Amino acid sequence: MKPRTLSGRYARTAYLFLLPAILFFAAFFYLPIGNVVATSLRTGPQADQWAGLGNYTQALADPAVRHSFLVTVAFAVAVVAGSIVLGLALAMAIDQPLKGRVAFRVLLLVPYLTSVAIVGLLWRNILDPELGVLNRVLLAAGLPAQQWLNTAPLLTIAAVTLWQSVGYTMVLFLAGLQGIPETYHEAAKIDGADAWRRFWRITLPLLAPTTLFVSVMAVISGLQAFGQAYIITGGGPGDATDLSVFHIFNVAFRTRDFGYSSAQSVLLLIVIVAFTLVQLRAGRRGEVVY
Amino acid sequence: MRRTLLYLLLGLASLVTVLPLLYMVSLSLQTEAETLSARAVVWPASPQWGNYAELFARAPFGNFIVNSLVVAGAITLAHLIFDPLVGYVFAKFRFPLRNTLFVALLATLMVPFFVRMIPLYVLMANLGWLNSYQGLIAPFLMDAFGIFLMRQFIQPIPDDLISAARIDGASELGIYRRIILPQTRPALAVLGLFTFVFQWNEFLWPLVATTTPEMRTIPVGLTLFNQEYFTLWHLTAAGSVILFVPTAVLFVFTQRYFVRGIALTGLK
Amino acid sequence: MSSPLSRRDLLRLAAATATATAAVPVLSACAGAPTTQAAAPGTFTVYWNAGHDYQAYRKVIAEFEQANKVKVNLQKYQWPDLRTRLLADFASGTVPDLVEEPGGWVQEFAVSGNARSLQEYVDRDGQAMGFPSDWQPVTVERNSYQGKVYGVQLHLTCNTLFYNKAMLRDAGVEVPATWEEFLAAARKLTKDGVYGVALNQDYTYLWPWLTQAGVTPYDPSTGKVMTPVADAVAALQFQADLIHKHKVAPVPVSGTDYSGPQKLFSAKRAAMIFTGPWDLEPIRKTSPDIELGVAPPLKHKTQATQAAGVSMFVPAKATRPDLSWDFIKRITAIEVEQAATKETGMLMPRVSWTKLPEVTSNEFTKVFADALPYAKDSSQQVRLTGQLGKWEEQLKVMYQQVLIQNQPAAEALAAFAESAEGFLR
Repeated sequence: MKPRTLSGRYARTAYLFLLPAILFFAAFFYLPIGNVVATSLRTGPQADQWAGLGNYTQALADPAVRHSFLVTVAFAVAVVAGSIVLGLALAMAIDQPLKGRVAFRVLLLVPYLTSVAIVGLLWRNILDPELGVLNRVLLAAGLPAQQWLNTAPLLTIAAVTLWQSVGYTMVLFLAGLQGIPETYHEAAKIDGADAWRRFWRITLPLLAPTTLFVSVMAVISGLQAFGQAYIITGGGPGDATDLSVFHIFNVAFRTRDFGYSSAQSVLLLIVIVAFTLVQLRAGRRGEVVY
Repeated sequence: MRRTLLYLLLGLASLVTVLPLLYMVSLSLQTEAETLSARAVVWPASPQWGNYAELFARAPFGNFIVNSLVVAGAITLAHLIFDPLVGYVFAKFRFPLRNTLFVALLATLMVPFFVRMIPLYVLMANLGWLNSYQGLIAPFLMDAFGIFLMRQFIQPIPDDLISAARIDGASELGIYRRIILPQTRPALAVLGLFTFVFQWNEFLWPLVATTTPEMRTIPVGLTLFNQEYFTLWHLTAAGSVILFVPTAVLFVFTQRYFVRGIALTGLK
Repeated sequence: MSSPLSRRDLLRLAAATATATAAVPVLSACAGAPTTQAAAPGTFTVYWNAGHDYQAYRKVIAEFEQANKVKVNLQKYQWPDLRTRLLADFASGTVPDLVEEPGGWVQEFAVSGNARSLQEYVDRDGQAMGFPSDWQPVTVERNSYQGKVYGVQLHLTCNTLFYNKAMLRDAGVEVPATWEEFLAAARKLTKDGVYGVALNQDYTYLWPWLTQAGVTPYDPSTGKVMTPVADAVAALQFQADLIHKHKVAPVPVSGTDYSGPQKLFSAKRAAMIFTGPWDLEPIRKTSPDIELGVAPPLKHKTQATQAAGVSMFVPAKATRPDLSWDFIKRITAIEVEQAATKETGMLMPRVSWTKLPEVTSNEFTKVFADALPYAKDSSQQVRLTGQLGKWEEQLKVMYQQVLIQNQPAAEALAAFAESAEGFLR
């Protein structure tokens, strides 16, 4: 940027343009977050008694909090890994000169357009072990009926999440692939590199920024997953799918301990910010992402 | 051989994404008894188109649709106005605290909505905005994701264009409107679609912020069809199909911008 | 030099911002939606369960509106959503005039100071309306706190045995009355694609078994939970064994509703289920051809079942308690109970209700009505500690660990008891 744009006049313009945004984020994000931090220092059903850091020390020692955090991390890892592998595979397939690629792109992205609540209800119905349509189809095909929500509950809700979001990831990778100049591949071909080697040596490194973006967004949304437990499993069986946000929600609205719930929210927030910073640092390759 | 394999892979993946949604359509055309029968009905013997009419008879479903359209539409409009402006400032201006403000903005991406919910509810109650369109719309007028998207998109636009316009005496807002905005069309299409889809499907806030059935949006209104201890599957599915149609239509219109829009945002 | 931000720019930016902000109310006006508020004068706001919107109640509401010159805003929710909504209301101070609750919340909110005492109204009108003399004693106790009435029971239900008459006849099985007979019957009834029984994933369905085994959920004098422990373990293990050892019941699926067993019963995939009057209508509607039988609760150490059902209460900050009380009085009149029972088969809390012809002459309702006197409230002592929410969360986890994940009952119960005895103290 040219040095003269640093002049105070442009700074004034910048702030003026930013004014609505600053007011908005202050009123609807920072004020409420400040409120949550204040609540996290209180206790009681009306959150009106001073507790100091009591809620935080309690949360750090609470086995249920630890368990729900581990469940959430496992869920996020499954979703991130699935998003990258499946999203990239589909993007590479659709990047080929095939007939009907636009149609495939639309079909794969369609589940992304509907709501988590509807997706949850729909899959709950489909997966029902006794009355659901999936087992009906499996039995008709001579395969054994399955109880996905009992035998592998966490993986199942991760798969449903992937089902909904993989089209979106695919489009992000597709955009990334189309940004790689064809000449790189051609040069590698002339050097005699096979397809596998070209993928590892050229495609993957040049896609790094996309992969980073996909994984950062998937981690953020994976750690915040809520509807999957709220609609599909109710956190069960037992506490197998007690995702952190669902757990925090229940502490607030079922157990009615807003102070304790707020403290856990703040802790989760810190974890998400930390994860994101670590990822950005690890993924930064001479390029500033923000 | 390789082509066949690719078609097979894509065809299979498309089946997996589309079949469950087709099953949702099937459910919406079944009788209540069929939705609960011992062996799941794959496709109803005689489609019950009347289920859709029953939705409107049982609840103010017309209101739900209007409310959803107004709320999601207004929020999308607000995003299209504010997100590119703020993104432009972060992409092309230098000013004190720029990086601090940008990080502070990105940090808001990481806050789950329900964390803000109770404070927001109290705020809205104090303003007297519960059960009103402004109450449903105000908390979502902009977001960090949209601003980030637009900033990434605007950044590669050459600075020289802007400087030249300034030398020509164009006003700052004029530069934004005549030079920046016209180039962001593909990104605006992506932003508009994302925002609309997300807001159209929002559940928690409309649930707590509305107090009369007439003000509910479709996702909240659909909970009416859940009776105390059992679900009216055929009606829930019919409502879900109605919920799905506008986003699908919008997608068909914007999808040609999709890959290009994202490619140019530098998210690649 | 380029031009700085001009005044025209400023005006335009201001205009754009103003337009965008102004667009919001304008849009509201365009759509013609009223921006009414929860506590608007002339509107009486009631939170109601989405499944309880009976014609009989609609009639009462119309009369109430006429008599008091108000408009009733009946907001229907599922229980979890109703609770989310209500707690947000308590936080903001804008509360509804009357709330229906699923049992247990009255004491919880009395303890926390969010429910209003109705004692002054009971003192004034009690004699005339028959409260508490005409209400089953358990329904008065569970809605009182420190000697004062905070809520009035609307429905009183309990859990009994539903069975498919044709299936039992074909298998040559008598209706079971004890646990042993029940297991034997379930074994005979289980065959190709049909289960003898279907159990619920919801932890509240644990209570009939525990009360039949003579278990006390929580004894405040000793601080112990689930005593005698051996009987509690046996009751839990008995249920898990039906699924995992004897294989006479399917593994329930964890979720957020109670309808799993009813669906299997309606689909003729289960011969027996344990449930309450709320499942009568779904079964009748979806499978009118099933010959439904309703039998009394089982007997083990004692014959018992769980008392359930809903109540109404008035939030502490509600501004028109006189109106709220008038609503309660009208909707609990014996004629209304009679009409609601006739319409839906729901069970009611008045003692005089049990003597109505609609009750004594109906083969289903009569079984329930006969069981009500020995129905027990399972969580009262826990509610009074103010720790009900935590108790329920952990109980739910423990029940599913045993029932679905087949953890040994003794182990799961011990872990639950240790934790519960810690936070109840």
